[in-house]
Amino acid sequence: MDHMTDDDRVFKALADATRRYLLDLLQSRDGRTLGELESEIAMTRFGVMKHLRVLEEAGLVTTRRDGREKLHFLNPVPIRLIHDRWIDKYTELRVSALAELKSELEETA
Amino acid sequence: MSTIAAQTTQVYQVFIKATPEAIWDAITRPEFTARYFYGARIENTAERHRALSPDGDVWGDSPTFEYDPPRRLVHEWQSLYDPELAGEEPSRVSWEIEPQDGGYCKLTVVHDRLEASPKTAESVSGAGWMMVLSGLKTLLETGEPLASA
Repeated sequence: MDHMTDDDRVFKALADATRRYLLDLLQSRDGRTLGELESEIAMTRFGVMKHLRVLEEAGLVTTRRDGREKLHFLNPVPIRLIHDRWIDKYTELRVSALAELKSELEETA
Repeated sequence: MSTIAAQTTQVYQVFIKATPEAIWDAITRPEFTARYFYGARIENTAERHRALSPDGDVWGDSPTFEYDPPRRLVHEWQSLYDPELAGEEPSRVSWEIEPQDGGYCKLTVVHDRLEASPKTAESVSGAGWMMVLSGLKTLLETGEPLASA
């Protein structure tokens, strides 16, 4: 696996309405089988499997065996990492720009 | 999350560019945990899982179930940092470290046996474990804790 492109995989996985819906399904009830997920989506088993594979490759879904069943779990950590890496960075910039503007305005006032 | 019951089995996973030994140290030694685990000084030994607040209050004191360095750690979880959570049944936390290609390890945290502890399940979901794991990754890969942690 090429870990340099982790962010790419997450963004790509999230850029699809069906995959976001699958994540929402797992968020409302975690630890589901393929059959359970399939029953909530108007799509073939193969189609759902394909989407789940993209989500797994992005690390957004993890699977664990429970007896004979394979259960799918939402893994929110990559979204948190995107948040830390991108969202925090830009909100911080904006805050510091406003702070600078404030001190500049107050100095000239 | 408030309208939905929090999950009774929660799985969190992160890839970290570090050796299994470095990750093991970071999750079992208090001088490391203090830098990413809400300030908690956590010591995991083959016998106990003990957590102290920055002020020295007991945040956790539970038995260890499995202790297999640097691969697998399983311990009981009881949130003593909040009286309401402390009154709930103990749950279980499992840490798995699996080496991957390219100097990475896959770290999986499973928090389960939460059936009788809905408030604990709610409190560790959402930002709870996510903040811990993203902070741990940042610490191990950059040597710096997250600014907000």
